[in-house]
Order: sequence, then structure tokens, then C-alpha cells
Amino acid sequence: MIKLENVTKTYSTEVTALRDASFDVAKAEFVFLVGPSGSGKSTLLRLMNRQERPERGSVWVAGRNINEMPDSKVPHLRRNIGNIFQDYKLLTNKTVHENVAFALEVIGRPRHVIRQQVPAVLDLVGLGGKQDRFPHQLSGGEQQRVSIARAFVNRPLILLADEPTGNLDPATGEGIMRLLDRINKTGTTVVMATHDQRIVNMMRKRVIQLDRGVIVRDQARGVYE
Amino acid sequence: MISRLRYTFREMWASMSRNKTLTAATVITSTISLLLFGLTLLIQRGFDNQLKLWTGGVEMIVYVKHGATPDQITLIQGALSSQDTVVENVEYCDEACATLVANTLFAGDTDSLEQLLPKIPSFFKVTPIDKDSGDVLRSLKDTFRELPNVIDVRTPDQQVEVLSQLKGFFGVRTLIIAAGLLAASALLIWNTIRTAMFARRREIEVMKLVGATNWFIRLPFMLEGLVQGIAGAFLGGVFMLLINRDWTSGVRAFPVSSGLEGFVVTDGYPYTVWLIMVFVGAFVGAVGSGTAASKFLDV
Repeated sequence: MIKLENVTKTYSTEVTALRDASFDVAKAEFVFLVGPSGSGKSTLLRLMNRQERPERGSVWVAGRNINEMPDSKVPHLRRNIGNIFQDYKLLTNKTVHENVAFALEVIGRPRHVIRQQVPAVLDLVGLGGKQDRFPHQLSGGEQQRVSIARAFVNRPLILLADEPTGNLDPATGEGIMRLLDRINKTGTTVVMATHDQRIVNMMRKRVIQLDRGVIVRDQARGVYE
Repeated sequence: MISRLRYTFREMWASMSRNKTLTAATVITSTISLLLFGLTLLIQRGFDNQLKLWTGGVEMIVYVKHGATPDQITLIQGALSSQDTVVENVEYCDEACATLVANTLFAGDTDSLEQLLPKIPSFFKVTPIDKDSGDVLRSLKDTFRELPNVIDVRTPDQQVEVLSQLKGFFGVRTLIIAAGLLAASALLIWNTIRTAMFARRREIEVMKLVGATNWFIRLPFMLEGLVQGIAGAFLGGVFMLLINRDWTSGVRAFPVSSGLEGFVVTDGYPYTVWLIMVFVGAFVGAVGSGTAASKFLDV
């Protein structure tokens, strides 16, 4: 599903975010990217949805080299990738329903599809009945669930999650992880950057560890070290 | 398609409602710029009308030697009429006719009449096609002066030259002013759209991440600029018509001898200008906002 070949990304001549990174992620796999702040986890995620381009190497997503993809095709790539962020990135002037519907609306889905899919995905993330609330009327965990619903409503092939439990208490974080696990079991590939040791150890999924832009460990059913 | 259209219009309206002050400022500036642009076109037309009035009576007088025979006069007439690419009309005034003109012009000036009448020359009134061109008049004058039995040729070439320069002077300068104002208008729309996009940068970021195309994101903003440009043009056109009406009635109150009676635009031209303003406003609005939106999306 995702393949990186000798990827190097530098932000300036002095800062190398990633150095010669290579790995594969299979379809429906769940992968943790771990490492301290500044180790290159977020850069890896940004390379996977073409928010960044590497200086060297290539990034393949769903069989296509996305570095060579023309800009006009990038929106279509992103329709197959859901994004979840630590700060949720919800639109504060829109309700829960509108936030999720927005993701379908901007890619031109017809109204009847939106009417059908949004309540279904809100039920899936446990927010049925809260569709008319605004983000500020929700807890952090609920806001992250809205963010997950928005990322998943289009049934993407891949979910990229950047520290999705970073702002949540442990119990809420566990709830979010259970939700991501359920989504993963539907066949969606999940790549999650985190430095939440407890969650990584609890999930026992594949772990790719980064240190100053270099992959230092790639372990199936790994733990946080 | 319908849902996209609905989305585009809804977002445009939401953006304009959210930035009411900025939208009002942009529409007001567009109104003023396009009003001045429209007035510039009207002023040019007013100048054209006035110059037409002034140059409408331009004639060249070719004086023929007193006592010239009919054959000699026919020869001159033939020579004048043969210049049909530059001469519109040739009219002969014989010595009897010239005497009548002199009596009218010098009525009461018996000394001048006594000197003039015994040797009064007949003359041809030649109306050139291009009345605005001093060069054409000078060239004709030189040609006709060489004809046998022609004693003098008088043309108002210097006056025409002045009028022509006046027209060019105002024409170029008013166009430069109008272009400057339109550029200012486009820049203001550009700035408004950029501000609106900056205010919605989070939304745009989410849109890009979920796979919205740049055109989809850009379109409501372009429509917003377009509406602002058209609204400015519409209002500017209303003000222009009111000002033109006031100007026309004011000028008409001047005495006829003021010589400014042509400096008005009374045909359907102001409505044509209004239409031009709407097109220019729409163009400036769409280009200004489109450029701003594209720049922002590139970041």
C-alpha cells in the first residue's frame, strides 16, 4: 500500500528531517511511527500525502510514485488518504455534522450520499445524537472522534494519524485507539505517529522507530523502547 | 453539479457576510474607480463632440485673381475637385457673391470696402475630409497655391492643430488616470480576497487535505471578487448617469455664445459606457480575486 525507497528530506542545508528511509506498509496494516520530537515522524506522514516532496528517493502510495504525480492529480490521491491531527483541525463555525459533511462536499459528493454517509460514520465513532453540536461544546476525545469521522467518511484506503492521542487523557486516548483499531479491521491501512509509550505497548502492532531522521528499528508486534 | 453550484454560492455569500466591512470598502473603492473610469470615457466623448462642433466649419478659402476668365476658373475648379480623396466639397463664390460677403463682413467700414471692391477676388470654399489634421490642410494649401490665377489660400490649420493637440492631451492623460484607477481597484479586490482567504486558511488547509481541487477552493473567492467588481460597476454607473444628467442640464444653461454647448453627451453613449464598466468591473474583479486565490493556494 505504501512504499518508501531511500527517502531523504532536508528542510535546509543544516536540517535533515529524514535520511535514506526505506520501508513497506502492506494493505490493512497498522504501523506506529515512534521516536522523540524532531525525529522525522510528521515529515514521513507529510511525505505520504504529498504535503512534502523528498530531495531523494521515492514514495509509492497505492502503486503510484507520488513524487512524480502531477499537481492536478494530488487532490485525487488525497481522497484516498484520511488525515487525523493532534489539534483535530475542526472548523469551529461548523457543527459536528457539517464538519464531517464538509469532507464529502468539497470533493463533490451529492447531497443524498452525504445525508446517508455522515450519520453512519458518526454512529461508528460513537457520536450519534451529537451531530448538531459545535466543536467547543465537545470534549477533547469527542473532537478527535469528529476528526476521525471526517477522515474516514470517504472510506479512504489509508489513515495517517499524527499524534492523535497527544492532547487526550489516557482513558480517552485508549478509546480513540480502539476506534482506530476497528477502522483498521475494516481493511484501512493506518499509519500513526506517536510517542505515547503506553498506547504502543498496549496495541502491539508494527513499530518503526526513528532517531534524528534515521530508521533505527522496524519491528513487527513491537513495543516502545 | 448542482451541489457544487450551491456550495460555491453559499460559500461566496458566507465569506462576504463574514467580512462585511472589507466587502463594503472594496465595493465603494470599485464604485469610485469605475465611476472615474466611466466619467473619463464621457469626458473624452464630450471633447470629441466639442471638437466636432468646432472643426465642423473648417474650410479652406482659395482666392482667385480678379478678372479671371471662366475657362481659368473652370481649370482651378477641376484641379480642386480632382483631390477627391482629401477634399469633401468645393463651392465657388464668384465676384458678385464675394462682393455680398464683403459688404456683410465690412458693413460700415467704407474705407476697406472702397479699397477691396474694385479688385475683389472670387473664391472657392474647399471643405477637407480630415478636418482635424493640420498636416493635410498645409499640404493642400501648398498644392493649391501653385495653381495658375490663384492669389492666396487661407486655412485654419494652426487652430485645428491646437484643437487636435488638446484632444490628444486630454485623451492620453484621462486614459492613464483611468488605467491607474482600475489597477488600484484590482489591487484592492486582490487584497480583500487574500484577507478573506487568510481568515479561512484553516478551512482551506482542511479542504486541501481531504482532496478538494484548487479550482473548487478558488471558485467561491473568484465569484466574490466578480460580484464586488460588478456591484462597484453597477453603482458607479448609476452615479455616472446622475452626474452626466446634472452636467448636461448645467451646460445647457450656459449662453450659446459660450462655445461649450458641444461639451455634453446626450445620445445613448452613457449606457454603453455603463455596460463597458460592468464588463471591466467583472474582469478586474475576477482577475484580481483569481490571482489572489492562486497565490494563496500555491503557498
